[in-house]
Amino acid sequence: MSSSAGGRENRRSSLVGSLRHGTGVSGVFCGVALAIVLAPAAARAEPPTQPDADTYSVHARSATYLQLYQRALLPGPGGAIVATTTPAPATEYVSLRADDIDAPWKKDSLDFELSAWGDALMGEAGQTDRRIDGDLQTANVRYRAGPGWVRLGRQVYAGGAARFSRFDGLSGGGKLSMGLGGELYGGLSVLPRWDARPGYYQLGSASDTLLRDPRALPEPSRSGYWLAGGRIFYDKGPVIAGLSMHEQHDGGELARRNLGADLRLTPFDKASLGGTALLDLDSAGLADGRVWIDSTPLEHVTLGGEFLHTEPALFLSRQSVLSVFSTDKFDELGSTASWQLDKLVGLEGGGYIELYSDGSKGARGKIAIKLTPDRDGNTLLRLGYTRVRAVDNGYHSVRNSLRQRIARTLAATAEAYLYVYDQAIRGYNVSSVYAGTLEWDPRSDLGLLWGASFADSPYARADVQTLLRLVYNFNREAP
Amino acid sequence: MTASRLRTLLLVVALGVSALVACSGRKPHFSHEYHLTRLACGGPGQPRCLNCTSCHKVDKTNQMLPKVTACRTCHKPAEQTKLAAVHPVPNDDLKFAESLHFSHDQHLAMPALSGQCVPCHAGVVPPSDNPQASVFPPMKRCFKCHEHQQQWDQAKCSACHERKAMSQVMPQSFLRHNQGWMRHHGTMARQKRQVCSQCHSQQQCNDCHDVTQNLKIEDRQPEAIKRHFVHRGNWLSVHPIEAKSQPRRCLSCHTEKSCDGCHVRHGVSANAVRGANPHPRGWVGGDPGNPDFHGKAARRDILTCAGCHDQGPATNCIRCHKVGGSGGNPHPHGWKSARSDNASMCRYCHGG
Repeated sequence: MSSSAGGRENRRSSLVGSLRHGTGVSGVFCGVALAIVLAPAAARAEPPTQPDADTYSVHARSATYLQLYQRALLPGPGGAIVATTTPAPATEYVSLRADDIDAPWKKDSLDFELSAWGDALMGEAGQTDRRIDGDLQTANVRYRAGPGWVRLGRQVYAGGAARFSRFDGLSGGGKLSMGLGGELYGGLSVLPRWDARPGYYQLGSASDTLLRDPRALPEPSRSGYWLAGGRIFYDKGPVIAGLSMHEQHDGGELARRNLGADLRLTPFDKASLGGTALLDLDSAGLADGRVWIDSTPLEHVTLGGEFLHTEPALFLSRQSVLSVFSTDKFDELGSTASWQLDKLVGLEGGGYIELYSDGSKGARGKIAIKLTPDRDGNTLLRLGYTRVRAVDNGYHSVRNSLRQRIARTLAATAEAYLYVYDQAIRGYNVSSVYAGTLEWDPRSDLGLLWGASFADSPYARADVQTLLRLVYNFNREAP
Repeated sequence: MTASRLRTLLLVVALGVSALVACSGRKPHFSHEYHLTRLACGGPGQPRCLNCTSCHKVDKTNQMLPKVTACRTCHKPAEQTKLAAVHPVPNDDLKFAESLHFSHDQHLAMPALSGQCVPCHAGVVPPSDNPQASVFPPMKRCFKCHEHQQQWDQAKCSACHERKAMSQVMPQSFLRHNQGWMRHHGTMARQKRQVCSQCHSQQQCNDCHDVTQNLKIEDRQPEAIKRHFVHRGNWLSVHPIEAKSQPRRCLSCHTEKSCDGCHVRHGVSANAVRGANPHPRGWVGGDPGNPDFHGKAARRDILTCAGCHDQGPATNCIRCHKVGGSGGNPHPHGWKSARSDNASMCRYCHGG
């Protein structure tokens, strides 16, 4: 490893060089903060490494989408379409990830992530459409030192009391050798397009306020939207247990104050079980509780079971008037199973029943067979059936999918969906969707895809859409 | 022919074509077992007995697949066409092998292996108790010799795995992405954050969870037929059923304001200009005994109400349910809150 490290160093791109040696303002700021926070821990826990061993990886991706479709904008009486537009948006997604980059004071300790999208709407546009739009999705740098880490920038925090949170701020944590650890995070909640209203297209209540134009609403002040939280945990051997806390404010007032608990036990290789609980501290109620078990009794068989208890109103923001209107609960019990009969045939299925506080019931189930008759994996056929029964309606659904590699650089997919509704929707008992793609990958880093779909549904007699996608991947890593 | 019959016919044809394509084109498969154990060899007039290195040349790379020309040592040129069709290993395994930092040369020199291939590649002659054993060793075989405890603790997988390929590798034991995975992945993301980050970037969370994007994930990856995207197919028609079937699931990604935001934008909301009232007769009024009265539905599925009516101080529920209003006290039995009476939301009704 060490003998070839020099050669690898010479092959690095200028991008890597700039990341490594000139980490920019955020890197310097991050470095100073981190050095203060983590230097003692790093000094204790850093394992000995070979002095010249080096690793890094850089991945960049660009995906360009061109779409063309027609949509109904304003259904008239009885759902009749009275106006349509034919937009042709072009959307660009870019992302960059660089891992194990050297900080000036420590090798392989920095990870960077950046991703954003933007689009330009060509063709016809609706009244509320933006011709040019876009947003930054992630932009952060992570510093690792032994068992500790700190991340600065726009980032995601998921699970536990945090559920799914995006914020601009700082997070950090670490784990001691005895299995105990902790994490903290905090910052300003991410609002769409930096400072737009959460919900973004929300126009207000036209029938109540006669508000028609979203621009008439005051823009939110970002400082009023913030969140913070943390988790302490034990993670050693077959036990992972954690206790988490999350507080979020919207418009300067409390939106969420949750306490979370999570547990996962793996008593032996073939089974694991766990549970989570989410408490709403404002109402001192259990917002969500879940217990589950996963097992693999045979090498190619998996079984799972789960019980979920939820009080949906506790998931509303505490700033919602409707959050005080209900304490009704909802329970769900079910299981899933999969069986890979051999390399060619796999079965999967599952079923759940739902019990609501008012005594009504619901159910859902699905079963699917997956065939890969070609040992090279060139062909994949999946046939699936789903049944959903909710309180006032339900549906049967069949979904058949095929993926076929036609040539070394050419592949195609075809899908057909059929829905049969228990109660007619706008006079329709049945609807169907057909979709297909054709992919051409002339090089390992370049791919072109053309896709199209046709749908006949309660909301469109003939919905036809098409899309063209060009993807470019740049990968470089060492060793 | 009616439209529904045409749909059914199209579906049947699609199914038939799919099955036909799927069941055709099987290619012959190379048998390690036959070549290593059942081939008559070593005797007079017989070919020499084969071992692993007869075909696989050991070097420093992570894979040593022989070319078809190696087969010609024994097989006649007339069989060449058939040989060219033989695929020795499934492509998925090959891709995986190529993504490992691994040296056969180094490993075979280790005393524990004594130059033997079978201790790791047990699947070349599948044991009777596991006829589906893969030619490629499972990861747990690596851990028989390597502890990697330090890397494991720090969730540093790139010592062995190429990071660019890891997102294509599904865990087979630890954190197995099986049927129930979609329901548990949030918890796992919290418990094993560092492990997840070895394969997944945070951008991949946003791919599905960032609902402020104009292009949803199902449109961005139409070819990913194996993935369980939520909004596939005719989601537009079934989403009210799904939302009522699993209250709160929508709030995993959406805010309660998202429903009406989209409905207004597409002109299918009572809040939109010329929008139609979706509620039945008797939904509001002076007859709480009416089976269509809104109270019971609101208690059971308040999130659906919030989808349109969550308008802050302009919420129309306040008109009747504020203190002194005709709708009475909306707080159900057992409801409580730790907020002070001065909280602005409380003052919408209690502020006089």
